[in-house]
Amino acid sequence: MTQTTYENTDKIRAGLKKRYARERRFRFYGLMAIAISFLFLLVLLVNIISTGYPAFQQSYVKLDVKIDPAVLGVSKDATRDELFKANYARLIKKTLNDMFPGVKGRKQKRALKQLVSKSAAYELRDKVVENPSLIGTTQSFWFLAKDDVDVFMKGKIDRSLPESDRRIKDYQLKWIDKLMAEGRLEKRFNTTFFTAGDSREPEQAGIKGALVGSFLTMLVTMSLSFPIGVLAAVYLEEFAPQNNRWVDIIEININNLAAVPSIVFGLLGLAVFIAFFGVPRSSPLIGGLVLTLMTLPTIIIASRAAIKSVPPSIREAALGLGASKVQTTFGHVVPLAMPGILTGTIIGMAQALGETAPLLMIGMVAFVADIPHSILDPSTVMPVQIYLWSDSPERAFTERTSAAIMVLLAFLVVMNFMAVLLRKKFERKW
Amino acid sequence: MTNLPDTKLPDTQLSDSVVANANEPRGMDDVHKNEEFDVEINGTLGKPFVDNAKMSSRKCDVFYGDKQAIFDVNIDIAQNEILAMIGPSGCGKSTYLRVLNRMNDTIPICRVTGEHKLDGEDIYAKEMDPVLLRARVGMVFQKPNPFPKSIYDNVAYGAKLHGLTNNRSELDDLVEKSLTRAGLWKEVKDDLQKPGTGLSGGQQQRLCIARTIAVDPEVILMDEPTSALDPIATALIEELMTELSAKYTIAIVTHSMQQAARVSNRTAYFHLGKLVEVNDTDKIFTTPEHQLTENYITGRFG
Repeated sequence: MTQTTYENTDKIRAGLKKRYARERRFRFYGLMAIAISFLFLLVLLVNIISTGYPAFQQSYVKLDVKIDPAVLGVSKDATRDELFKANYARLIKKTLNDMFPGVKGRKQKRALKQLVSKSAAYELRDKVVENPSLIGTTQSFWFLAKDDVDVFMKGKIDRSLPESDRRIKDYQLKWIDKLMAEGRLEKRFNTTFFTAGDSREPEQAGIKGALVGSFLTMLVTMSLSFPIGVLAAVYLEEFAPQNNRWVDIIEININNLAAVPSIVFGLLGLAVFIAFFGVPRSSPLIGGLVLTLMTLPTIIIASRAAIKSVPPSIREAALGLGASKVQTTFGHVVPLAMPGILTGTIIGMAQALGETAPLLMIGMVAFVADIPHSILDPSTVMPVQIYLWSDSPERAFTERTSAAIMVLLAFLVVMNFMAVLLRKKFERKW
Repeated sequence: MTNLPDTKLPDTQLSDSVVANANEPRGMDDVHKNEEFDVEINGTLGKPFVDNAKMSSRKCDVFYGDKQAIFDVNIDIAQNEILAMIGPSGCGKSTYLRVLNRMNDTIPICRVTGEHKLDGEDIYAKEMDPVLLRARVGMVFQKPNPFPKSIYDNVAYGAKLHGLTNNRSELDDLVEKSLTRAGLWKEVKDDLQKPGTGLSGGQQQRLCIARTIAVDPEVILMDEPTSALDPIATALIEELMTELSAKYTIAIVTHSMQQAARVSNRTAYFHLGKLVEVNDTDKIFTTPEHQLTENYITGRFG
């Protein structure tokens, strides 16, 4: 007997080396997997941030505007309405012409006008309408520079290239150099990017419309999918009759819905919510409804798993003390399952936040310049905004695309952080 | 959906011919070797009925789906007595205990027949509310199962649930009284806001007992309350049971024959879903009437 035992010991000892080698190998594979994913993440982040960060700065041009009522075409004591309709673009043009005399030819004159953004005229109008006493005086204003000037300022246009290969011609360079020499051209923090909606002009385009749109859409999605999903999971797990054919069919369908391509939900939303119920298209409401359909299976499946993992002894304890089924479920089971439910919810919401395909079907890809104020206003969402900008030919939209991705990622991080906080709050050990 | 692993579901065909329980493969071998095992069980020997019955069952059958787990059990539980239920694994003693507060209602496939009474009231009648019944017939489970809340909240839960106290100070008093009666007050009086799950196993079980007696039930059912505990904690809880029997009627399922002998007034021996013999505890352990009872208490199987 003892002999056999010794033989076994030798066998075990002989095998030990191999076992440890396998363990080390496995640990190495694990480390490699993490290193590779980390590397990809790093490349992605570095790429996005390096392309995107210049978008947080914007070039401004300082113009000394003599607010001449004659150029504006109004009298000294014009009404508010007249002031509103006055020709401010002409005033800006005249100011630039005065600053750079001797500009010849249509092409160059047009180029001169395009040193500043079109928005300069509107900005000037708002200032004058607000304060009519400015009329007749000379004021200095910082106006948004046109996107080409801005791109040049950020060093994206190489001065040494032959003129024909540059978007900024030699005469424009001369103007820019003069402005810089006079301290009339500088880069500042790009507030427009965070306060404006979309625009055809890159220097006027901002993320706020899409950000608010995404926020409202998420609000609709969250307030519909969380309660519906959790209640459905609670019912299926705790109250539904066991081994019932209908319950089985519902379960199979929920599991299948989780795998349905998201564009199909978009078609469903188009057919049911827009065509049949007449929900306004392009609105956060319809977006939220469609994304709710998409998120529900994820939340239901995760919530059911979380509810199932609550030890049955807790249910017995509550029932044994005379708690009713509903008191047991909502007093003990659901709170204990909450961390898992929240994890599922956040996964579903993150998916919904990044979703574009179903929104194509319900008109959320439209160009929407206004910032939505309610869930019924037309709006767009961030992934769609990113897609639209990435498709635009203007050079200045490239950096804005990356910057929008950064904002989307930040939105996601904030959302996840809130979920982690909530989860911490509900986490209990047993 | 509620799968209750603590419940002993019979996993072999329990027919009238004796088939052993697959839970205990070693026991099965013993059973087959034991010729005396094939003794007929005809009715219950001893004295299953008493004059001052608190709870009673007549013609009790329990089915899990198609399988019958309990066959024709007739028994009374007397006022203020401690009734111990013993028997080999899978004999139906836990299942029968759960009949008494309708805990089996939570298992969808479980069906209970027969007549079951608490103070003469039919507990399976339509008018009987299981919530009220479980408040009157409390239960302590095999595995300590405190809620993942503070010690205070654990004890106060039942009282809050049923609205037994009018204000905070009454509730404080009730918590102190219940913990004192469960012999836990001295150990936890400074840590009432700490989680109940942080206590030791024995303390957790006493916390569960405190939680049960806080509702002030008439009957306490205990399903192997000490099987997960060490001997010192077990001794504490046994002592507690004896004290509690002055006020409550207690039915306890136990695997330990010594425990049954130490704490109970009467002992019931279950075998494969049948109630073989009920008698005063000293009689069961000294002069059992049935061959199976004798085999079990002398340790020939089980």
